[in-house]
Amino acid sequence: MIPTLTAGSATSEGPPSLLGITIRRSMVLGRFFLVYGTGISVLLGVVLGLVSRSSFAAAFPLLLPIFASVGSMGGLAVFTSDRLKGTLEYFMAYGFSPRRLFLNFLTATLVLVSIVVSVGLGVGVGLYLARGNAFTPGLAVAFGLYAVPMSFASAAFAATMGMYWSALSSPRAGMNSPIGLAPFIGILPPVTTLFIVVALGASGATTSVTTFYAIAVAVMALVVVFVVLLLALINRFLRRERLLSPA
Amino acid sequence: MVMEGAASPAGSPRNTEGVGISCQSVSAGYLGSPVLREISFAIDKPGIYVVLGPNGAGKTTLFRTLSGILRPYQGNVLIDGLPIDRQQSRNRLHYLSHADGLPEGLTVREALDLYAQLERATSADVDRVLDLVNVRELSDRFLPQLSAGQKKRVSVARLFLQDRAIYLLDEPTANLDPKMAREIRTLILDLSREKIVLYSSHNLFEAREIGRYVLAIKNGRLALFDRIENLRGTHFVVGVRVLEPSEALTGWSREGDYFLRELPGPEAVPAFIRDLESRGVQIRELREMNNPLEDLFT
Repeated sequence: MIPTLTAGSATSEGPPSLLGITIRRSMVLGRFFLVYGTGISVLLGVVLGLVSRSSFAAAFPLLLPIFASVGSMGGLAVFTSDRLKGTLEYFMAYGFSPRRLFLNFLTATLVLVSIVVSVGLGVGVGLYLARGNAFTPGLAVAFGLYAVPMSFASAAFAATMGMYWSALSSPRAGMNSPIGLAPFIGILPPVTTLFIVVALGASGATTSVTTFYAIAVAVMALVVVFVVLLLALINRFLRRERLLSPA
Repeated sequence: MVMEGAASPAGSPRNTEGVGISCQSVSAGYLGSPVLREISFAIDKPGIYVVLGPNGAGKTTLFRTLSGILRPYQGNVLIDGLPIDRQQSRNRLHYLSHADGLPEGLTVREALDLYAQLERATSADVDRVLDLVNVRELSDRFLPQLSAGQKKRVSVARLFLQDRAIYLLDEPTANLDPKMAREIRTLILDLSREKIVLYSSHNLFEAREIGRYVLAIKNGRLALFDRIENLRGTHFVVGVRVLEPSEALTGWSREGDYFLRELPGPEAVPAFIRDLESRGVQIRELREMNNPLEDLFT
């Protein structure tokens, strides 16, 4: 007698979220970046706070996004590893779409940014206040309008570009890999902002704090639009076969 | 070609919409270049269906398409009559890629816990499979610390976390030592009593040992779908190993210790043995030297 086919459980529920485990894996695989980004942010806050009130207020908000971006490379590290090792293939077999996977890694990246920014700001500003300095409205604007949003925008830019790069290119190792180059991509938005401000100053145009924030907000808006556009175009540019292991 | 009620290629009046897996004129590939071309078959009965073909024939592409990872350029893949892009269809499948697919940054236990979460299995299921594939002692190790064979065992362990109707296994015994490969084959054979198992392997003896049916892929097309026992090689060559050298074997070609003779088919073996014994040949062993599955690669 030919045995009959027995069915396993066949629910119509989609796969559960990978976010929690991805954040954890990002912290493990990207621990060097996380420790480096957080450590330098804290060190910067401490040193600048000890030097002078004006040094801290002028330099710390400007430099924080650079190290926050570097500290958040764990999300991209997990994406690259999962693609190379065929893990993304399994996730797609479970029903994850490329867009959902991208958003998962991007969200993990933003969580890592929030860790670097929270620790850096907490220690830096805490020490600044502990030394008897006042938290002025100007400092609040510097953090609220530039340092914090630019940290998230830069990290999202680096992670998205890195994931696209990783998926569209052959695997490379070392500095020529997406992981090696993403930190340099991440510093592009803050460096572009500073470059524009300096270029305007050099050209004789009048630059003020307001001009700086206007330029920064414009750069951040461009970055956010670019990231959203890349995410919207995932199905067009990153077909499922782009996420398969090249092995 | 109808397979005694167990499996049939499409075009047969049965099975194309029912229980099991059905591939209807499927073409699929990568970045617009088709690798599979108009593949059609339907399987609705348990058993091991060995997928064979030379390198680059499209076996892995077939597995990726059947599991819903790749979308067909044309045609349909149906699981129990439902398109593969439905979550309900995906949840009836287990897929094992030739890549281990183990998530870095986790220990063996944590990796299996993650897959248990995706499979909606329990922590007790993880404990069970750790023992089943003999990886309990590795459970606290991080994945990069494992050998290729150990990683394969962990990867195979995922298959037993949850009960599914259909198993798509792309080279499940690659990188395993012979003992572990045999144990995994035994587990898969047990599964195949109630499940549909599509199984690709480059080991033809393994394929012949465990397979009930063969699907041969050549140049992206389904070249053959038949019971393995129905396959006959173009040549049936037996090798005779003897206890003492015999003049009766003078002039026979040899392969190692075996004296070779081509026979019309397996039915000629008893008469062949009687003939040798009547000529005083003391037979120590007689075996079929070629595997009919080899012809599928030429």
